[in-house]
Amino acid sequence: MSARVLVAMSGGVDSSVAAAMLHEQGYDVVGIAMRLTPEGLPAPTRRRGTCCSYEDFEDARRVAERMGFPFYVIDLRADFAARVIGNFVAEYLNARTPNPCVMCNREIKFDRLWSRARALEADFVATGHYARIESTPGGTFHLKRALDGAKDQSYFLFTLGQRELARTLFPLGSMEKSEVRERARALGLRNADKPESQEICFVPDGDYVSFVERAALSAEIRRGSIVTGDGRAIAEHKGVHNFTVGQRRGLGIAAGIPMYVREIRAATGEVVVGSRDQLNSAGLIAEQVRMVDPAWFEGGEIALEVKIRYRHPALPARLRMLSEERADVRFEHGGSAVTPGQACVFYRGDEVLGGGFIERAVEG
Amino acid sequence: MRIYLDHNAGSPMRPAVRDAIADGDIAGHGNPASIHRAGQRARRALEQAREQVAALVDAVPRAIVFTSGGTESNNLAILGAALSVGGGRKRIVATAIEHSSVMAPLAELEGRGFEVIRISPDRDGCVDAEVLAAAIRHDVALVTLGLVNAEVGAIQEVAAIARATSRAGALFHLDAAQAVGRVPVRVEDLGCDLMTISAHKIGGPAGIGALYVRPGINLAPTMLGGPQESGMRAGTPNLLGAIGFGVAAEAVSDALEDERGRIEILADALLNHLLGTIPGLRLNGRREGRVASTLNLTFPGVLGESMLIALDLEGVEVSMGSACAAGAVEPSHVLTAMGRSAAEARSSLRISLGWSTSAKEIADAAEIIARVWRRVANAEPADNAEAAR
Repeated sequence: MSARVLVAMSGGVDSSVAAAMLHEQGYDVVGIAMRLTPEGLPAPTRRRGTCCSYEDFEDARRVAERMGFPFYVIDLRADFAARVIGNFVAEYLNARTPNPCVMCNREIKFDRLWSRARALEADFVATGHYARIESTPGGTFHLKRALDGAKDQSYFLFTLGQRELARTLFPLGSMEKSEVRERARALGLRNADKPESQEICFVPDGDYVSFVERAALSAEIRRGSIVTGDGRAIAEHKGVHNFTVGQRRGLGIAAGIPMYVREIRAATGEVVVGSRDQLNSAGLIAEQVRMVDPAWFEGGEIALEVKIRYRHPALPARLRMLSEERADVRFEHGGSAVTPGQACVFYRGDEVLGGGFIERAVEG
Repeated sequence: MRIYLDHNAGSPMRPAVRDAIADGDIAGHGNPASIHRAGQRARRALEQAREQVAALVDAVPRAIVFTSGGTESNNLAILGAALSVGGGRKRIVATAIEHSSVMAPLAELEGRGFEVIRISPDRDGCVDAEVLAAAIRHDVALVTLGLVNAEVGAIQEVAAIARATSRAGALFHLDAAQAVGRVPVRVEDLGCDLMTISAHKIGGPAGIGALYVRPGINLAPTMLGGPQESGMRAGTPNLLGAIGFGVAAEAVSDALEDERGRIEILADALLNHLLGTIPGLRLNGRREGRVASTLNLTFPGVLGESMLIALDLEGVEVSMGSACAAGAVEPSHVLTAMGRSAAEARSSLRISLGWSTSAKEIADAAEIIARVWRRVANAEPADNAEAAR
């Protein structure tokens, strides 16, 4: 009997090709689409109940029918609301900039979905992520960047440990995006030329500020002042959730030189601004740190590269663990716009060593 | 090997129905409304189907209005009655466990100024007829309820309700989509004015149904156009569907008692096996006073959604709550109205047997369901699953 793989399918071209390829390779594929986002009702309706006719799910279903493997939609909205959306809102209100894709991977795709997979006797969970998993003869699993550097999504996957990697497949890790589209066309998949999804799935209009305000109680909104480095208040603002470190637009202040958000202080509601060079930090403190292979890490100070935002290049740095889950990371040449709440992911070359979430920047 | 145990969603077409539809030549090519002979031939086929369906519920043929199915029949009954009854009657009495095709028109009417009273059932899904009857006052336009509940199979006692409705001068609508073919249904005995019948619940084709309309009652049509179906449902009827419906009705009339006894024995065997092998398993509803072929079961310690998919992968087809447009399942509002928690509703599955169910299938299904439950309960304990809720 061939190994059963539960493939998370969004209806997009990547997960469709991932599922189709595994099916062609002889795996016993079960396609699963996850209902995650609480959808609003279409405007002109008085009807009760929920509307859930996702065109995207229909695309995924068509792929499954075409390839001939079973496909189901499962409802993980409650888990997603509690573990991903709740965290997203709380982080913004707490003056941090969350990364919901990392949380969704950690809490939903490689946790809740795995529970479902076990109930269905699946041996693996697969997704259309661009990243690679390699194993060494000793039975250690390594998480690596995708070969297509422009598409590499390993940053979002650093929370996967040995246990998760052992049961996960990333069929697209060694492919270029253009190859994936070609493959989709060759397989006759109707979503071969579907555009990439860009926004966070539960904020389709990209307006995070309004989303947070709708989800929060008014007492939770932290208003305060925009201040300069020397503590001088230069304007008032409507809540710390309007800001992220490194932000330049929308500050509502006029200054001779471009001003950027350097720091957001949750306790006082102060948003500290400064010039571009003032965004530089010597390092950061990371929390909730996990290593992909804890056995590899022997303590002391180690050299590695750290990526502090998805679209930023990895920066050379030195890491020292402060406790089991906290680390002090110092950049070799400084780093710009260290943003609390964002993931900081540790690399050595192509390999993801681990990562954590940024607690705060470290000066000098 | 596939074992189909979702007859309440739709029964497979009976062989005689398949044959009749495949031989569509019976109806020829005409339109039953046409004057010429081709039209007359089509009309004859349609009227024969009407007679067959009427005979199934002991009605006169002209009382049968063909529709596109149970949903349209319920819409026509409720909207049509509410909009044709005058005299300041602005109240409707229903229950909290109706099908969505009843609940949605009721919600629509609430938006248009009607007051809807929804009587809650007891823990077994039975509505207290005296309580419901007491709500039927002289300003009531319509009383509507399901004769047999689709999800738990509870059979409602309607005699007292029929009397109270008649006394109040209101119209009495029964949604009998799940009752016809499962229990004897005679419109005169039930004392209803309107009754919904669906073809694919009795082994006919999907896409055709009927509304019994007591002669003398005129409903405001929901479909406007030609004078077909006594002016209550415009449009050329689904002729092939009606032919299949008629054949199914005849087959059910002939086989009802035998079929019912056989299915009851199989359903009891399945229930007893599962109760004996799954500790903590609970039947939703009483063992008596329900359609035995419907087993709504709360499986301890599992998510019904996981069980449903795991069973499908093993070849056993059952259902849970109602499917949304995207194909995910929603927990059953019927179970929550019966006092079950949302978590219990999420752990419940509906297994429904029907004319095609064999003893071998039930023996296999009993073993597979017990095995899959053990596996799913081990893999995804419900406390873990519920912790996130």
